[in-house]
Amino acid sequence: MSNTSTNILDIKNIEVMYDGVILALHDVSLKVPKGKVVALLGANGAGKSTTLKAVSTMLASERGKVTKGSINYDGTSIDKQNPSQMVGLGMVQVLEGRRCFGHLTVEENIISGAYSRKLSKGDINQELEKIYTYFIRLKERRKSQAAFTSGGEQQMIAVARAMMAKPKMLLLDEPTMGLAPQLVAEIFNIVKELNTKEGVSILLAEQNTNVALKNSDYGYIIETGRVMLDGTAKSLLSNDQVKELYLGISKKGRKNFRDVLKEESLTKKKIN
Amino acid sequence: MVDELLFFMEVLVGGLLAGTMYSLVALGFVLIFKASATFNFSQGAMVFFSVLAFCGFMQDFNIPFVLAFIMAALLMVVVGLCTERFVLRPLMNASEDTVLMATIGLGYVLEGLAQAAWGVEVRRLDLGIGDFPVPWIADNLKLFISALDITAGVVAAIMIIGLFLLFKYTKIGLGLRAVADDAGAASSIGIPLKHIMLLVWSAAGVVALVAGCMWGARAGVQFALVDLALKALPVLIIGGFSSIPGAIIGGLIIGAVEKVLEVYIGPFFGGAIEGWAPYVLAIFFLLYRPEGLFGEKIIRRV
Repeated sequence: MSNTSTNILDIKNIEVMYDGVILALHDVSLKVPKGKVVALLGANGAGKSTTLKAVSTMLASERGKVTKGSINYDGTSIDKQNPSQMVGLGMVQVLEGRRCFGHLTVEENIISGAYSRKLSKGDINQELEKIYTYFIRLKERRKSQAAFTSGGEQQMIAVARAMMAKPKMLLLDEPTMGLAPQLVAEIFNIVKELNTKEGVSILLAEQNTNVALKNSDYGYIIETGRVMLDGTAKSLLSNDQVKELYLGISKKGRKNFRDVLKEESLTKKKIN
Repeated sequence: MVDELLFFMEVLVGGLLAGTMYSLVALGFVLIFKASATFNFSQGAMVFFSVLAFCGFMQDFNIPFVLAFIMAALLMVVVGLCTERFVLRPLMNASEDTVLMATIGLGYVLEGLAQAAWGVEVRRLDLGIGDFPVPWIADNLKLFISALDITAGVVAAIMIIGLFLLFKYTKIGLGLRAVADDAGAASSIGIPLKHIMLLVWSAAGVVALVAGCMWGARAGVQFALVDLALKALPVLIIGGFSSIPGAIIGGLIIGAVEKVLEVYIGPFFGGAIEGWAPYVLAIFFLLYRPEGLFGEKIIRRV
């Protein structure tokens, strides 16, 4: 991982502030090797979205700023870029909460992703057909208004739309938020397929630690704006700390709230 | 009885056609509201600025009608360009309220520039279309309808069809609709907001010029055109701020209602109710259908 030329993304010790006063990231460093899937894990407010927005340069529109450190993407520094230039360089972010264009049809949503590319009508249709091979469900619903599709379909629209820009790298912000387990699996299957067949490098932010690590090569765990732990996905899945804090499994086996209460009452009895 | 019905028809048709003049002004507002969710207070000033320049080109420099119109339209594109560069871009991440205030300032700048360049006297604009009843219609249908009103109706129809085609079938139209839905998501997939803003402000400028020509031909090209913007407000509330068909229908409703009320109910109030009747109607809409007739409903999944 030390050889920079194999890393498509290299974040070094960044600090991010909102409004010039609110410190959202203290010290985050991470690398995404070319063609790999890297998971960024952590609870609400840990700084996952902020990290992704720092990379896609979408921070500026929320009055956020990278105040320390550097971000290198595909050999170039990103600090003078804006979001549409980043798309031009092949980096597309799928924002948290899907953010489909509700009044546009599913197909119009997907086509809008090709806005930055100069394509003829024929080329667009060809690309569209290719995209539909990954998102078969969307082809059936192509004429529906996006706002009336299901949550899972909206997530697919958002990823399909990003793929129309022909990215080298995708940033996915909580792609499985609020989805049923079956859909979570379906989304991750598509993401894996895009990664292997299209060679897209992926950095994904997730709260769903278990599924995310099972579908990634490498993982970073961040808490209150700092990287606490990183390692290969396999090593993190078998790490005791991760198991206990993020997967809800302790050495004694599965631990839930009822077990905790039981333990507490047992200790109380002992005291009495 | 027949005479009464004919009279009612005449009032109604006259009102509808006069309403299309309101629609033309409202169209400019809708374009900008769609893209930036801002009520553009400078729209009235843009109407005044564009049509005064058009008159100035023709009357002070003796430039032929068509060429002067094209020059005025290009001037409005330049205004759009400058607005994007010097007003909107620096305020890119500011709140909608800030942009709203900026449009008020922009309005004053445009009014001042127009009067500094072309003087303050009222100018007559002759489009070659008279503001008097068309003899053919008067003879055959017994309706007295102004030729200027009919022209305004035709022009409004052409503009709405043109804008519809632009939005539905062009790439930049798709970009505009995407920005209207979610500007953040649009910029995340590489739709450059500044191109869209430029398009919208230029289009609104040209629409302002067309509306200005119609109103200028009727009432003279004068500073009072700025206040036309106020008449567009009830039109927008009724039709919906973000809907182009809404602007047209809203204008028709306002035009028809104010004329009919003026003729049949006005005498009980001592006349001149067409000045305020549209606003009363607008208040009822705000109470019972705040998104207007055609405004985009907020679609929320449950």
